[in-house]
Amino acid sequence: MSEGYVVRDLGVRIGDRAIVDDISFSLAPGEIVALAGASGAGKSMSAMTPFGLSAGVASGSAMLDGIELVGMPERDLSRIRAEKVGFVFQQPLTALTPHRTVGQHLQEAAMQAGGVKPDKAAMVAMLESVGLSRPEERLVQYPHRLSGGERQRVLIAAALAHGPRYLVADEPVSALDAALRGEIMALLVRLCRERGMAMLLVSHDLAGIEHHADRLLLLEAGKVAEAGPAQQIATAPATDYGGRLMAATPRLSEPLHQLPDTGETLLEAETIHVHFPKPGWRRGRIDAVVDASLSVAEGETLALVGGSGSGKSTLGRAIAGLGPMAAGSVRWQGTAMPPRNRRSSEHRRLIQPVFQDPLASLDPRWSVADIILEPVKWLVPHEYRAERAADLLEEVGLPRDFAGRKPSSLSGGQAQRVAIARALAANPAMLLLDEATSALDPLVADGVVALFDRLQRARGLSLLFITHDLALARRTAHRIAVMEAGRIVECAPREELFANPQAEATRRLIAASG
Amino acid sequence: MGRLIARRLLTAVPTLLAIIILSFILMRLAPGGPFDGERPLAPEVRAALEAAYGLDKSLPEQVWMYLTRLAQGDFGPSMVYRDFTVSGLVAEALPVSLLIGGCALVLASLLGISAGLWAALRAGKWQDEVLMLAATLLTALPTFVTGPLLALIFGLWLGLFPVSGQNDGWDWLVLPVVALALPVTGAVAKLARAGLAGELGSDHIRAARARGIAPLTILRRHALRPALVPVASYLGPAAAALLTGAVVIETVFGLPGLGRYFVQGALNRDYPLVLGVVTLYAALIILFNLFADLIYGWLDPRMREG
Repeated sequence: MSEGYVVRDLGVRIGDRAIVDDISFSLAPGEIVALAGASGAGKSMSAMTPFGLSAGVASGSAMLDGIELVGMPERDLSRIRAEKVGFVFQQPLTALTPHRTVGQHLQEAAMQAGGVKPDKAAMVAMLESVGLSRPEERLVQYPHRLSGGERQRVLIAAALAHGPRYLVADEPVSALDAALRGEIMALLVRLCRERGMAMLLVSHDLAGIEHHADRLLLLEAGKVAEAGPAQQIATAPATDYGGRLMAATPRLSEPLHQLPDTGETLLEAETIHVHFPKPGWRRGRIDAVVDASLSVAEGETLALVGGSGSGKSTLGRAIAGLGPMAAGSVRWQGTAMPPRNRRSSEHRRLIQPVFQDPLASLDPRWSVADIILEPVKWLVPHEYRAERAADLLEEVGLPRDFAGRKPSSLSGGQAQRVAIARALAANPAMLLLDEATSALDPLVADGVVALFDRLQRARGLSLLFITHDLALARRTAHRIAVMEAGRIVECAPREELFANPQAEATRRLIAASG
Repeated sequence: MGRLIARRLLTAVPTLLAIIILSFILMRLAPGGPFDGERPLAPEVRAALEAAYGLDKSLPEQVWMYLTRLAQGDFGPSMVYRDFTVSGLVAEALPVSLLIGGCALVLASLLGISAGLWAALRAGKWQDEVLMLAATLLTALPTFVTGPLLALIFGLWLGLFPVSGQNDGWDWLVLPVVALALPVTGAVAKLARAGLAGELGSDHIRAARARGIAPLTILRRHALRPALVPVASYLGPAAAALLTGAVVIETVFGLPGLGRYFVQGALNRDYPLVLGVVTLYAALIILFNLFADLIYGWLDPRMREG
């Protein structure tokens, strides 16, 4: 019997559609192999389908310790999963059953391969090994009491509870906060090395895995584009696709590009406070933004960087007049902007937003032309409207004849470009980009970032660039403001911030992004 | 949980008050009165009657009088069934309605939930299609169609069950209970099916499958409770409606339940009777919504925190 997981000519179909075509790779005991690539490349499908955990149907061969998985009846496959493999999924928030406690999950996981019922000490040890604080308390808690990172640790503990030889991790950190990703990835790798487990890792984040995986497979449209030692592919990709993927992934180690020149100060926000009442019947309030001041010059990009819940979006919305502001002032070229309910359409024209989820921010029943021109419908005479919409589409790099389409026929990247065209329709001086590229695939996101750069140079736009990705901020922004717990803890030009980080939060972010 | 119950009971008081006052005023806005018959009463008789029941006082005074009496547990006399108090009438009629409604509720829950779960497990197959078509039909058919139809088939043609009134056995219950339960069964089945089908596609079920847990165990341990949340939210108010009497069923099967008194009372402008039933009905709705919320908390611990 040969040990290891050997995949030969694996194909995956959903209905008549081939998702994965003739993929071959092997995973030796104790090895870490990563499947990476653009979205839709078939990474998750290749990893999950042989184990019966996707909607696809597998063909070809997938041998686990000499046992053929393809074509195996679900009952036997279920036993293989229970005995040999642990799984970690992308969504820690929903992968735990809401009405079962952490302890019940661990108990079930430990007994899945017929093991004995673990006692409390054993379960505490499991939680300690994944670095969860106060483990005794957690055992009786329901999942909703835990944060995303804590839940992912519980899921990892559950995946390891029955002592599997193999671990399949499907985007295990992409749904987590940026500061946590490195930590959880390092935890997974350490556990694999300690226990001699092999891991099949699926990820779209090349920068996050290149130091951890032994070998890397780059998938493109269901085929292997490139395979080899992870370090080698990361530093010197052999294919054009590999090169584009690597270039699209921002890294802290990359050389700095030249950014466009900046002009006079345009926007000054001073001592901004935002708070919300606590949800439900509880007393008190949540201070979302505390005493935040910043300025943006003409043609400048200011990045607001921080973990989730740090208040960066709330601050951006307050400045643009899209969200509440309890105290503080916003000045535009030295003149005070009125509070949001008294801002005129002229004030609103100046700062236009682009949001994270492109499809959710477009009305599915409207045509692209109607969406783009809504802000200026009454200002553009009827006969010029089609022309105007087409011009804007061209400016954001879309074909002019997209005007008649509906959002449902657009890809994520195209939809985001339409949202950008809508923001440009009002002829703004500044764009508020709220995680505008983080829902996109790396290659597509890179194209959108390049578009922002082009627009900035052509129109002299200022950009307020909200992101959790420090490496992306370093690539695109003149200055970077780091936020933590509602405060701006540091704000400096990018060269200075990385050469000499002042705040503890900045140093932690840099360490997590390295 | 204790805090939730206390809070709900406290907020129930103003809600009930508002319902009572509004119904009181609406009742009086309707034309006619309890003493309007085919032959007009002599003016002095009418004046004496109105004085006796307090109808000669101003509306706010009457509301106040009614509320003070209600606070002492007195629903007042019926203005039409002159020898009875409202409490007496309700005490007589409510047990019949509770019995029929309670049986219908249990039957509808059991049948509906089992049918819904079974359909969800065969989602997309013909069994699912047939069951859901049947459920839609049941929900769509009004009881004034199904009631007489059941009576015709099982009572008159097959002679299996009595079609009218009560007797000492239990068989008089069958037809009214079934007729009352059918539409609720359909609705519960559809909700249970949608709940479980949605739940089976969720991430935590896939995670349980990844652990190699047996399908039936997954269903029982991981899927069932969250799948029943929509059923619980429907059954709360539905239970209140079932238990307080179904006018059509009581009329079709000739049963002396609360529903008939309510409609008769409204037609006769029997103010205290109508108000008494409305108050009871509102209180039950509030109570059953509280039950539904407690059940939510059990089904999904996230809902225990407001």
